[in-house]
Amino acid sequence: MIGIEDCLSEAMTIPGALDAILVDHTSGMAVAAEGVPYPEGSAAGLSEAFRATLDGLALSTPDGTIRIEDVIVTTDRAYHLIKPMETMFDGPLLICLRLDPDRANLALALRRLQAISHRLIAS
Amino acid sequence: MAIATLDSVLAGLAQDRATGSLRIGRAGTIFLTRGRVSYAECTGTPGVEELLTASGRISAGAVRKARQAAVARTEPPSGGDTLVGDGVLTRGELEFCVLGATLDASFFLLEPALAPAPGAAVPRSRFRDGERHWLGTHWFFDVPGLFQECRRRKARLDRAWPSSELDTQPVIPVRRIPGRHVVLTALQWEVLLGADTTATPAELARRLGRPAYSTLLAVRELGAAGLLATRADSAGQPRPALPKRAERSGPRAELRPGAGRDAAQPHLPQVSADPTDVNLLIRLRDALEALQ
Repeated sequence: MIGIEDCLSEAMTIPGALDAILVDHTSGMAVAAEGVPYPEGSAAGLSEAFRATLDGLALSTPDGTIRIEDVIVTTDRAYHLIKPMETMFDGPLLICLRLDPDRANLALALRRLQAISHRLIAS
Repeated sequence: MAIATLDSVLAGLAQDRATGSLRIGRAGTIFLTRGRVSYAECTGTPGVEELLTASGRISAGAVRKARQAAVARTEPPSGGDTLVGDGVLTRGELEFCVLGATLDASFFLLEPALAPAPGAAVPRSRFRDGERHWLGTHWFFDVPGLFQECRRRKARLDRAWPSSELDTQPVIPVRRIPGRHVVLTALQWEVLLGADTTATPAELARRLGRPAYSTLLAVRELGAAGLLATRADSAGQPRPALPKRAERSGPRAELRPGAGRDAAQPHLPQVSADPTDVNLLIRLRDALEALQ
């Protein structure tokens, strides 16, 4: 069992991790960040990206309801992972990780992120 | 002599690195630990106790027992650690619960101080040195950061729907949506399902066990999407390009707030007398004839 700060430091030990941020999706607030130069802007942008993904996929899914496990975006410079964690009180908490594509193993990073989220929030 | 404003009181306590509780009128209490805000509670927002019981993780009785046990101890209470130790919730969940409840309460406690209405009474605040919350200390906000977050949340609300009209009114969903397809978030769904045309957003939040701010945001988003009846529907606000058909479809007209109160003012056009309707029918007829 870990707390919010430990969760971020553990995420930063994933091979290739460049920065990590925890975002409250409902309000778009940066809860905590490591290595992120402008947490406020990143939090707003990432929660918008997640919202757009949710809305877009809901419209393109036959039954209209979706539950995102991970969002994986690969760009020319980085891998971006967004993992929503359901909390018992409010909309999801997003753990967002940026990885160096030359050093990171995407499958490993996803597994590690999954493990971290289970230790942070028991659901 | 001017009464000290809430932000100056809090700034002073932060500077003195004070530990204790600041009671703000009857609205609520802000707990400080060495000059930083560690918890806040507000009568209008669900606290950690309510959030925990609403989640079904723990019964109200068990929370009360944990609270009494924590308060009975002489050293600084740490009921939160006991809950984590008993496996009720994880450390991360406790921190997030405290953080969420604190931000939610702070928004409603501090928001009036952000943009004070001229002539508005400044709430009397009283500081009790050394008093701590029974959960103990699990997360911190520095005072300027907390004000900054409240301003950001206010801006976010206004971006969703720039009117506070829906904030204190009963939430009344429209009977028919103004389109064929609608995408809802989980909380928007809960709000629509819980709306009984009498509950205000704050009452819904309490009933749903959801933060009051998130509920308010969901309500404003629903309003912006045209899914809630607003007073603009009955007042002389700019109308959408297509006139609404009203009196014929009774239930819909009844749902609009003000329909009863402002019955003397016809707020929607009569269908038979509306030239736009007639024009539309003529255009439809022409189109159908052209098809043959």
